Amino acid sequence: MGYINTILILGGINVIAALGVSILTGYTGLFTIGHAGFMALGGYLSAVLIKEYEVHFVLALIIGGLFAGVASLIIGYPSFRSRLRGDYFAIATLGFSEAIRLLLNNMKQVGPLNIGGSFGYSIPSGMATVPVVVVALLLAMLFAHMFVTSQHGKNCIAIAQDEVAAEMMGVNLLRTKLIALFISAFYAGVAGGLMGLFFAYQSPSFYSITQSSNLLAAVVFGGIQSLIGPFITAFVLVAAPQLLLVMEEWRLIAYGFLFVLIMVFRPQGLLGYVEMNFNFVKAGWNKLVARKSISRKAVH
Amino acid sequence: MNDPILKIQNLTVDFGGVRAVNNISFSLQPGEFIGLIGPNGAGKTTVFNLITNSIRATSGNIVFKGKSILGKSPDKICRLGISRTFQNIRLFPQMTAYENVELGLHNTPRYSLAEAFIRTPRAQRIEADTRRKAHELLEMVNLEAHADKRASSLPYGLQRRLEMARAMAARPDLLLLDEPAAGMNEDECEELIQLIRRIHDEMKYTMIMIEHHMKVVMDLCTGSRIYVLNLGSFLATGSPEEIQANPDVIKAYLGERKNGH
Repeated sequence: MGYINTILILGGINVIAALGVSILTGYTGLFTIGHAGFMALGGYLSAVLIKEYEVHFVLALIIGGLFAGVASLIIGYPSFRSRLRGDYFAIATLGFSEAIRLLLNNMKQVGPLNIGGSFGYSIPSGMATVPVVVVALLLAMLFAHMFVTSQHGKNCIAIAQDEVAAEMMGVNLLRTKLIALFISAFYAGVAGGLMGLFFAYQSPSFYSITQSSNLLAAVVFGGIQSLIGPFITAFVLVAAPQLLLVMEEWRLIAYGFLFVLIMVFRPQGLLGYVEMNFNFVKAGWNKLVARKSISRKAVH
Repeated sequence: MNDPILKIQNLTVDFGGVRAVNNISFSLQPGEFIGLIGPNGAGKTTVFNLITNSIRATSGNIVFKGKSILGKSPDKICRLGISRTFQNIRLFPQMTAYENVELGLHNTPRYSLAEAFIRTPRAQRIEADTRRKAHELLEMVNLEAHADKRASSLPYGLQRRLEMARAMAARPDLLLLDEPAAGMNEDECEELIQLIRRIHDEMKYTMIMIEHHMKVVMDLCTGSRIYVLNLGSFLATGSPEEIQANPDVIKAYLGERKNGH
């Protein structure tokens, strides 16, 4: 049971972060290989708040998320201002995230606080239970859905499809991209906080480039402009290696291979452009109802 | 006489050593409809790009509604009331026709981010209002039946009309049409003429149209004027009849007969 719980919790956390990446990469068209950095920022801050200041963990998670969001503007504003895009923005995020990781790795002391450097920072455990993660995940999914179907989200989609046309149609590129980045970093920050709560400690080693590429992989596999696609793949990418007990190194080779296959055969991702909706449930229900009424007629 | 809605003063732009637009000036009264013609490479689209600031002018000034818009970002210029279509269509390919039009209506989202997350009644009302307006615009260009099709799946002629609806959705005062009749046959051109005339009459936009198709230009600019651009400068201005009779214009378009032949 503990084993299943672990997979559920880690999968759920990964999905929350992947939803953030989906908003930025899938919906706004900005590639990121640095979301582990935002996870680290949110994660460490919420851990410190919980341990040192005894803040309630829900509040700590939200503050951690907001902190990651604000930090993302530090890299977002100059990048978007100078119209850095495509690969260049991705490299900027990578550099930012690695800088954060190396700082955490080498700084034992931040002001009066001892955050442990590469040894990690331990916090009280037992707060990231399955119900907590599931509730957080449902809220994350709901808000992501609300955002991407709102006028704000549709402006993001327009930027992803044709940046020049979007600008000519009056969409404020800088503002819209910063909003997408902020929300996306917020998701990563909350996911980082949950990670610490589950493992009962924070460590810079959680937030390596592997974690960032994991999240990007989930979005690329799952599909651009889709929430349900990354949802499924982010979970599978965590669960599958655990279940199959495949070694870490082989996983990366498999990723590379899958990446190539996806890019060749389905560049929009497995569920690209498929919006999350419940039409299929409705359709199934209608079928069921129709069959019932037919059988009732047959009786008469 | 009213104040002009758009005043272009001594506008010049250089691309490296090439002077693409050379010292042109003109002004437009509110509600006017003018044509801009000229051979390929004359700088017509460049003039549009300068007005919307997708290209930065080397010198000169552009005054819109009494204020200089030179150096303002393209999105700002659009929100001030200048909207355009593109010579090589630039729709959002994976969005439906309806979503394309809708975008013009909410280029500045009409409710806050917080309202977006919890969908307050106000946000829902605004969404409904936006939906209604988008469908009205689609109806206006006769695309209502294609509202839910992906923009990229529409035939060429319909994509052009969709671009016009999208440009109108941004609530412009000045509408710039870049070759709306490109690639259309005679019947489609006739329809397009009717449509543009109706848009101009009903919406009271000030409009500038670049067009190669002479029948379309001559028909629509009746009672108005046409500017002829050649090699970056104005060659002639006048009513359609005057332009058609102007020997310089004919020369620019068709070239010159060699002496002695």
